[in-house]
Amino acid sequence: MRLEKCWFCSSTVYPGHGIQFVRNDAKIFRFCRSKCHKNFKMKRNPRKVKWTKAYRRLHGKDMTQDSTFEFERKRNRPERYDRNLTEETLRAIKKIDKVRAEREARHIARRMKGKKGKELKEARKELEQSISMVKPPALLKEDPSLTLPKIQVKVAQSQAEKNQPMEE
Amino acid sequence: MAAAFASKCSRVGRSLLGGLGKNLSGSLTASNETVCSSFISQQQRTFIQMRTVLKVVDNSGAKKVMCIQALKGKKGARLGDTIVASVKEAHPNGKVKKGKVVYGVVVRAAMQKGRCDGSEVKFDDNAVVLVDKQGQPIGTRVFGPVPHELRKKKHVKILTLAEHIA
Repeated sequence: MRLEKCWFCSSTVYPGHGIQFVRNDAKIFRFCRSKCHKNFKMKRNPRKVKWTKAYRRLHGKDMTQDSTFEFERKRNRPERYDRNLTEETLRAIKKIDKVRAEREARHIARRMKGKKGKELKEARKELEQSISMVKPPALLKEDPSLTLPKIQVKVAQSQAEKNQPMEE
Repeated sequence: MAAAFASKCSRVGRSLLGGLGKNLSGSLTASNETVCSSFISQQQRTFIQMRTVLKVVDNSGAKKVMCIQALKGKKGARLGDTIVASVKEAHPNGKVKKGKVVYGVVVRAAMQKGRCDGSEVKFDDNAVVLVDKQGQPIGTRVFGPVPHELRKKKHVKILTLAEHIA
């Protein structure tokens, strides 16, 4: 039993899930769900579609190089069953997952670090440059030319229409 | 550790390049055949039924055959089923002549077929390998990928002749 990767979004395809398309040159395209298959049929490039792993990796959104990825690898030789080894592997999986999650969190934190300061700086600059656009409310009351003039619209009510239901 | 990193880097780089190349060719072709190809890909794929024209992917001498009967199933034949077909196009000096009625096993079908584990498989085109009444292939070679489900249908000979098994 092998867990394959989806060709489009690089998520894991578990046994019994998804569809696979075999091209005439025997290249196999596996898809985790119909969403990915449809996107493939529409000839979309996974590097240009924002929700795929390929896009996120290409644009530095996700951690790409890490030693924890080395454990997940395609192996073509089946491992001989060994109870101790299996136990150890199962224990290691949890540990590795934890390490990877921590590192990913750190990666994101590092990536987002400058964001808050940058936003604050931009806001300060905008305030400085375009404060003249904003007028205090007291000024608007004094000078009517700054506000839109109020137009009164008269609604004409026809007498006949009003009286009709009374007659009936 | 360093070596592992390096190998990782090189792999990522190669896949990047490969993706770029693919993208380039894709964008080139996409510009002039977007309309028709999208129409074809959106077309609903159905069973192999009477008058379906299939490609022959062996060296029996036939090029194109037309299905005239599916031997199993009410709606038509699917991947791995046997059909009766008439030869529409043939090589000038092959074993099979034009106009003959032959038996064939569908080795590729554009309509998806469920696998034993619940996933699905589909191919690029509809292709057939000509066999005799006993199920032995007429040709001596099989081109292109064939599904491993043929083993279940007792067409092991076709599987051994095949280049790729998907």
